[in-house]
Amino acid sequence: MGQGREPAVMLMAGTDKCAAPADGCVEEKAAMTPSDAVSPRWKFSELLADPDVRARWEKVRRYFFLRESTYDMCNRCNLSCDGCYYYEGAKQFARENGDPEAWRELMRKEKARGITYVVLAGAEPSLVPELLAVCFAEMPLGSIATNGVLRIDPAVGYRIHISVWGNDETGLRVRKARGLLNRQIANYRGDPRAVFVYTFTRENIDEISEVMAVLASADCRVTFNVFSAPIGYEGPLRHDEASLIRTREVMREMMDRYPRHVLFSPYNIVAHTHARGLHDLYGCSYPRRNDSTAIGLGRSFRQFRTDLTWDRGVACCVPDTDCEDCRHYAAGSAVVTARLYRHVADPLTFKSWLDYVDTYLAVWVMGYEKGENLCAEMVPPPGREAIRKA
Amino acid sequence: MPESKEIQEMVLRIAEIIIEELKLEDITPEKFDPDMDLVDELGVDSMDLATVALVLQDEYGVFIDEDDYPKLKSIRLIAGYLQSRLDGAKG
Repeated sequence: MGQGREPAVMLMAGTDKCAAPADGCVEEKAAMTPSDAVSPRWKFSELLADPDVRARWEKVRRYFFLRESTYDMCNRCNLSCDGCYYYEGAKQFARENGDPEAWRELMRKEKARGITYVVLAGAEPSLVPELLAVCFAEMPLGSIATNGVLRIDPAVGYRIHISVWGNDETGLRVRKARGLLNRQIANYRGDPRAVFVYTFTRENIDEISEVMAVLASADCRVTFNVFSAPIGYEGPLRHDEASLIRTREVMREMMDRYPRHVLFSPYNIVAHTHARGLHDLYGCSYPRRNDSTAIGLGRSFRQFRTDLTWDRGVACCVPDTDCEDCRHYAAGSAVVTARLYRHVADPLTFKSWLDYVDTYLAVWVMGYEKGENLCAEMVPPPGREAIRKA
Repeated sequence: MPESKEIQEMVLRIAEIIIEELKLEDITPEKFDPDMDLVDELGVDSMDLATVALVLQDEYGVFIDEDDYPKLKSIRLIAGYLQSRLDGAKG
């Protein structure tokens, strides 16, 4: 379907709300009267009439069965990084349960309640290889967030996300680790599980050129994260509006320069460098910010501490992050994806959402290959401006 | 009060859509229990429900608020919801 075609007019029977996003059109809603109750939204079937869109939709929807929870594996780390999420809040003080049978039982219980995907994280999962093996034996889909200092046994067939925070000089200063990037590459070069995650802070934006050149020359795949401040953190890594704009520019530049190695899309850039955080843009669906237990993440998601307990009040993918500053790649993978409805609005918005989901699946699911982005434009989030006006 | 023919037809059509969209096997619209809890008993998740809601929006030309998804827990509840939307539009 050509994009010039007139969209369908959707009758908004018996509602005083607009068909745009629930929290993204407050002004429009307030001004709306029953006689205005039509929306220029495209019909879902019209958007799917485009063969490329239909094919991508069918490709990504096969993974709608994924239901995640996250697990802190131990309370130790072999690095000491500024701005680390793990060593904030109460979770860092949880007793470490290193009993493989306790973990096996937990995984079985998780499977029984419908969890199909595990994210193994804090503090440093590579320090507990026996627990990783148990988790993988029980739950075949998942990912591990690691600093990459130690190589995880290739028999553990999860996606492995290796955190990169800048060049070696920055790695030494922020993570107190010498020659970290080379060590990470040595451990994971050619490993089909590996995705390097470059976290943009306010300080390391322009280091990406140098780091990306090294990673691409080693044929490593890379995705991008945006530093999201832990609660109370006001240090130099925290982004401001200028640094977000600069991050956006260099992300685009890297996508153009390394299309085979960068797993990202224009809409990922928009969602993660917008002046408003993810919660403000989309409404976070994790329990910490979502009271509903009826369906979705509010119902199924749990964030287990190392003692295998969890607390609904703080449960999200990166606990102790300041929600207003949250632009974390893991959060976006769930929060943006969950807002399917809002993106079924017009061809470019829907294509952007499909690109985002395609990217997220390639980053998180073993064996999933990212397609070419369907939308080259940086389309604004539904009901929001793409770039906040100065 | 017995269900109107309109609602009965709607129940069957919703069952058809759910079977097709969720690729359910070994069930026909006629045998689909309209009171089955789609979330608790069938294991439907938010993305499935959003997909079904979008197809129903197209089919019936009514707006289904995403805040209302949790209310759409069974085929009969969905039919009632759609009917009230359609009635509201006529009124």
